[in-house]
Amino acid sequence: MHRSDRADIPASGIVVECRAVCKTFRQRQPSERPRDVLRNLLHPRFRTVEALRDVSFTVNRGEVVAYAGPNGAGKSTTIKLLSGMLAPTSGSVRVLGIDPVAERTRYVGRIGVVFGQRTELWWDHPVAASYEWKRVVWDIPRERFERMCGVAREILGVGETWNTLARELSLGQRMRADLGMAMLHEPEILFLDEPTLGLDVLAKRSMTRLVRQLSATGSVTVMVTSHDMNELEQLAGRVIFIESGSLAYDGDFAGLRREFGDLRRLVLETDDATAPTLPGAELVGSQGMRHEYRLRGAGADVAALSAGAGEQCRVLDVETHRAPIDEVIAGIYEHWGRQRPTGTA
Amino acid sequence: MAARLLRLWALYAYLDGMWIARDFRSFIFYYLADAVTAVASVAGVLLLAQRFDGIPPWTRDQVLFLLGFGMVARFVPDMMGNYNVLHISRRIGRGQLDHILVQPQPVWMALLTEGFAPFWGLLSLAPGVGLMVWAGQRMGLEATPSWLLAFALNLAGASAALMAYAALWGFAAFFQPRAAEEISGSAVDLLTDLKGFPLDALGPGLRTALLTVIPAGLMAWYPCRALLGLDHGIAALWVTPAAAVALCCAACLMFRMGMRRYAQVGSSRYTSFGHRR
Repeated sequence: MHRSDRADIPASGIVVECRAVCKTFRQRQPSERPRDVLRNLLHPRFRTVEALRDVSFTVNRGEVVAYAGPNGAGKSTTIKLLSGMLAPTSGSVRVLGIDPVAERTRYVGRIGVVFGQRTELWWDHPVAASYEWKRVVWDIPRERFERMCGVAREILGVGETWNTLARELSLGQRMRADLGMAMLHEPEILFLDEPTLGLDVLAKRSMTRLVRQLSATGSVTVMVTSHDMNELEQLAGRVIFIESGSLAYDGDFAGLRREFGDLRRLVLETDDATAPTLPGAELVGSQGMRHEYRLRGAGADVAALSAGAGEQCRVLDVETHRAPIDEVIAGIYEHWGRQRPTGTA
Repeated sequence: MAARLLRLWALYAYLDGMWIARDFRSFIFYYLADAVTAVASVAGVLLLAQRFDGIPPWTRDQVLFLLGFGMVARFVPDMMGNYNVLHISRRIGRGQLDHILVQPQPVWMALLTEGFAPFWGLLSLAPGVGLMVWAGQRMGLEATPSWLLAFALNLAGASAALMAYAALWGFAAFFQPRAAEEISGSAVDLLTDLKGFPLDALGPGLRTALLTVIPAGLMAWYPCRALLGLDHGIAALWVTPAAAVALCCAACLMFRMGMRRYAQVGSSRYTSFGHRR
């Protein structure tokens, strides 16, 4: 199927549309007490877990969207809903104008899915054989196949493991080969669920490079979930945050920082190993005569703080920078954790 | 659709051939082990038949034919059901059905083709065919075109019955993924462990049970009775194919119910063990 055959929606149109999506699961709650064995068998207790609660969002063609949230927030459930593996309990999911479950076979030929902990490669065969398998099953035209193999070799470095058995690949090599394979049919949307889990810096970098290159063309829409927020910030212009199944934030990373606290860092180098006490700044740690403080908000008066430090010791150097996004996110998770009533799903 | 099926079977045959021929030592040891397994699987009944000159009312040659038929009938499901396609409950129970759901083809088509491995277990086919031909010659069996057609139908029926029975139980994993993860294997063992035994000496109740609830009798005993003239009447030739069709229908029904449930609850567990390896 050629791209022109598939473009039945406008080039800049909405490609992912979730409307009031709810997904609930029943979870068995067996009692551990021996006297309850019979009751567990005959009248088991269940609780209803709301994996997704009234989630609505849209994604435009060509966007790279980070889909983030703590463990159990509903990220993978959303990816499964969007890739046609699960049906919503209520609400509607439409991707590329298609109901992913009702028209699954037509739909999945236009998307690519990569799960970080799962491989599509054939374990006892070389990577090349898995790619050939994909070409036949997906019915990929030879020209496109050769071109995309070239992309996988060039950007992901798959060429070096082309004739290596999948079971002999390192995790990083395997993930790169998997991502290359997911791209072979030139999907219009790529769903990446924790694609960099367990990868080293170099492997992450080549993945990031490919996603950036794809997004630069504007022809591929990417939705990526990860716990590595720094990586997501590099990849995506937009982040959707879910917490306990509900949409908590939808916007850019700068807005996320503004909304949940724009943490900054102040580093002072002094002539004293004892860190000066600065009102409005929290000491994170000291290394020799280098002291690092956490500031809240962009409006913190660094000059006043430096002057205050100068009254206690001699300040040799001052530097400020934004706190890593991970720290912002950790703050959000802690905040949500405090708000969440005990015992709820 | 037929062209696509053929293309997919050709692909999986290629993958299977590449796997078998990956290096000379593996190739030799693989087939050697297979040959030993094949001989061991029939040795018990073969020795009994030899010692007692048959198992009444079956003559020794008829027992040999029955053993050969059973081996070939078992080969087909093995050939079609690699990578846990025959043991489908493992795939469902381990959450591996998701891998099929991201392929742009119907699930049934993936299952019908993905396990195709014509070179795998090839040596269990050779002794089976050899036994049947040898026994047939000793019995003076006349292989007329109509008899060959009946033979092919019954062989296909026996193989299909085994696959459908394994699937029928295996689809229980849609409803209890953990408890039923190994149920397809147990169902296959249930039928194949009994396939080499003439069941004539059993009472009518047990025999009926072994043709319905646990249709081990359909694997070799009943079709061979019909093919070798121990059961008179043309209707007996149709019993195994008809039973296979009924089992396939039941499996399809269970599959549809299971898939509907899978779309609602998915799989909360995943293990890559056995997936494409």
